[in-house]
Amino acid sequence: MTPRRRTAITGIGMVTPVGNDARTTWTNLQAGRSGLATIGHFDASGFPVRIGAEVKNFDAAAVIGNPKLLKHSTRSHRFALAAAQEAFADAGIRPSASDGHRWGFCAGAGMMGVDYRELETVQKYCAPDGEFQPDGFLAENFPADPVAFCRSQTNSGLALLTRHFGIRGYATAVHTACASGGQALGTALKVMRRGHADFMLAGGFDSMLNPIGLSAFCLLGALSTDNDAPERASRPFDLTRNGFVLGEGAAFLVLENWDSARKRGANIYAELAGDGNSLSCYRITDSPPDGDGPIQAIRQALGDAGISPESVDYVNAHGTSTLMNDRSECAALRAVMGNHIGSMAVSSTKSCMGHLIAAAGAVEAAVCALAIRDGIAPVNANYTQPDPDCNVNIVREKSRPMKIRAALSNSLGFGGSNSSLVFRHPDEVDA
Amino acid sequence: MNSPRKIVITGLGAVCGAGRTVDEIFGAIVNGRSAIAPITQLDASRWPVRVAAECNVENKILVPDRKLHKSISRTDIFGIYAAESAIQQSGLSAHREMLDAAAEIQFDDRSGIFAGSGGGNYGCNYDFFQAMAAAKGDLKKFGGHFAESVNPMWLLRNLPNNVLCHVGIRHNFKGANACITNHCVGGAMAVAEAAAAIRACEADRAVAVGHDTPFEPETLFHYQWLGLMSPEMVRPFDRDRSGTVFGEGAASVMLETAEDAEARGGKIFGEFLGSGCATEATGVLDIRPDGDGLSRAIQLALADAGISPGAVGMIIAHGNGTHASDASEACAIRRVFGEKIPPVTGFKWACGHLIAASGILDLVFALTSLSQKIVPGIATLNLTDPEFAPFPVSKNPQQPRSDIALVLCRGFGGMNVALLVRANP
Repeated sequence: MTPRRRTAITGIGMVTPVGNDARTTWTNLQAGRSGLATIGHFDASGFPVRIGAEVKNFDAAAVIGNPKLLKHSTRSHRFALAAAQEAFADAGIRPSASDGHRWGFCAGAGMMGVDYRELETVQKYCAPDGEFQPDGFLAENFPADPVAFCRSQTNSGLALLTRHFGIRGYATAVHTACASGGQALGTALKVMRRGHADFMLAGGFDSMLNPIGLSAFCLLGALSTDNDAPERASRPFDLTRNGFVLGEGAAFLVLENWDSARKRGANIYAELAGDGNSLSCYRITDSPPDGDGPIQAIRQALGDAGISPESVDYVNAHGTSTLMNDRSECAALRAVMGNHIGSMAVSSTKSCMGHLIAAAGAVEAAVCALAIRDGIAPVNANYTQPDPDCNVNIVREKSRPMKIRAALSNSLGFGGSNSSLVFRHPDEVDA
Repeated sequence: MNSPRKIVITGLGAVCGAGRTVDEIFGAIVNGRSAIAPITQLDASRWPVRVAAECNVENKILVPDRKLHKSISRTDIFGIYAAESAIQQSGLSAHREMLDAAAEIQFDDRSGIFAGSGGGNYGCNYDFFQAMAAAKGDLKKFGGHFAESVNPMWLLRNLPNNVLCHVGIRHNFKGANACITNHCVGGAMAVAEAAAAIRACEADRAVAVGHDTPFEPETLFHYQWLGLMSPEMVRPFDRDRSGTVFGEGAASVMLETAEDAEARGGKIFGEFLGSGCATEATGVLDIRPDGDGLSRAIQLALADAGISPGAVGMIIAHGNGTHASDASEACAIRRVFGEKIPPVTGFKWACGHLIAASGILDLVFALTSLSQKIVPGIATLNLTDPEFAPFPVSKNPQQPRSDIALVLCRGFGGMNVALLVRANP
């Protein structure tokens, strides 16, 4: 058996509630600064939940420039374009006419494609009194907008990014709710390994911070209702946690073959070393209390990376700050890590930037790569009262400088899909 | 382990306007019966497009568990039904029953599920119309009252990954999984990814499923507006083709290693040989006239399978009946096969265009065609477009040139997927 192709992370781009680029995001996460606040980009004052983790001061026109791209992009597509642009610039390579067919694309894409204002237009014509009448579309003055239609397809983001950057190889979009971003990176890793691409742009983008998305999570009772204290509303693993805070954003990574990255002298953040992927088969919104499901994903990821539990120094937890999810994740970590559990740092950066849904796994993968590069485990903010059911070594109060040989990132989704990714320090790979 | 694992197909499932079993649908295809008919789910009397291949089988017949209906949508019903048909036909559930406890845990963890989901449809948002109408544009009011008229399960009902979740729960498929939301190629890519997971030893078996319900009024409206819809029928590769027609439903295949299938004595329908995927990077709607992306997808699939173009015995074309797609598809096929193109056919004239389920539905009937050694005719074909004639499509049945079929699938985003399968001797 020939040695497996290794995959290097050589470029990172992020647009998040704590920063509109990777550097700002990472600086703020290390400092434990919160990106959570009262929702500002639409009037949420009447909703049961009025707080969120918004991307702030994002000047799409300045960042993206091209008016045609702006017209063809939704809010989350714009985050994606900016993050991808940054990732390419950071990697120092991008697809060309001669190698575009060897570039692949894989993204966790959000489930919402229709802008609220567009929905209002349809409502005005087709349901003025609330009852849907399809013939409203046939009204002579119905403002048919083919561009809005193009923006709202399940693979609109894929179409926009592959076209703009000239990616002509394998391309896909995946959606397993909160596990989407992690599963997208796992898929990208596998496409690289099987030789179907030499480079991948992989990540995720989402924004459900709109009247429909916010309503949907309010109906499920999944969100923290701490409207008066947004900065402390997301407190993963804390005894008093009461739900997650809805966020938005995007992250993309540039992946390339380890050997060719070394040959061109690329800056390698980390190896994307292993992927684990399982289905809990339990309930649609809950993870099993004993960690069944996540356990298999974590084990597979470690096995896939060829490392033992003892070499994991840092875990970027899914840690949504919901009662059951955090408990289940800790149970899974304990089951897999055994005695190593106490010496392994765990934090959820959702404490600062909320839950980015389909983008969460991608953003947190980027955080793991940066944590490895800088030797810093970012703080789990708002952790003051330990929960005996979440007995793991939480990075509390401030970020922890430490050598990170390998990092693990978990993403556990509604519907029961679980994704675990393992990242390794370049020294460990080259040793 | 030096030689790659051989992957076989041991179960098939399909439901669409032409029927709810593989035999019933294939019977309609070989008898030249199209399921395209006047739309009944919507009063389309004033609409420029009044036809579709509707599947009007009741939910409770497809998925008897009525409690489940509350937390899923119609597309999920189709997906669950098709996936369960494939799983049931494979005999794997009965096989699992006979395992001891330890082997059963291992079996569950090594069973994967890959779905191509239509997802992201428009109609689900209409559940908010009552609240929006009452609020009259006042978001503050909307925020205070939406809960009075919207089902608390709204989000869960509309998750694109519901089929994964519920087929998983019902059959204990706890292994590798993905839900692909890539417009028309979702179902075809679900097969490719399921096979790749088995080949890479990440799973020992996996069910792949594609499902969609595309003909919502808003989708119909936009497709029609963009000139993609035919007012009457799908005529792939015909000079007078006028666009596509929507269908709805789902299709599924059960994949496992040949070793496992043979050891348990499972019936084998065919072998998965390879896949290829390429985008043309042309944005949502545009496609290249030269068939660049599709020809590259075919070349990648041939390389993945380790076979030459001459080994292909028949082609199930995407053939959606739109002018640009069919012309560029013919161009791509010619680029790869030169003057030695094997018989070509397609099934959208009979079943309509199932969007996310289209490629995997075609794969199911590619296998059925191979096993019956027939390339079914395209009943709606009158005159092959002289622009790319001679091109081996026919109104009448043709003979496959070998036991290998190439299935082509294309979608928005300039997406192209090619799959290769071989019939079981």
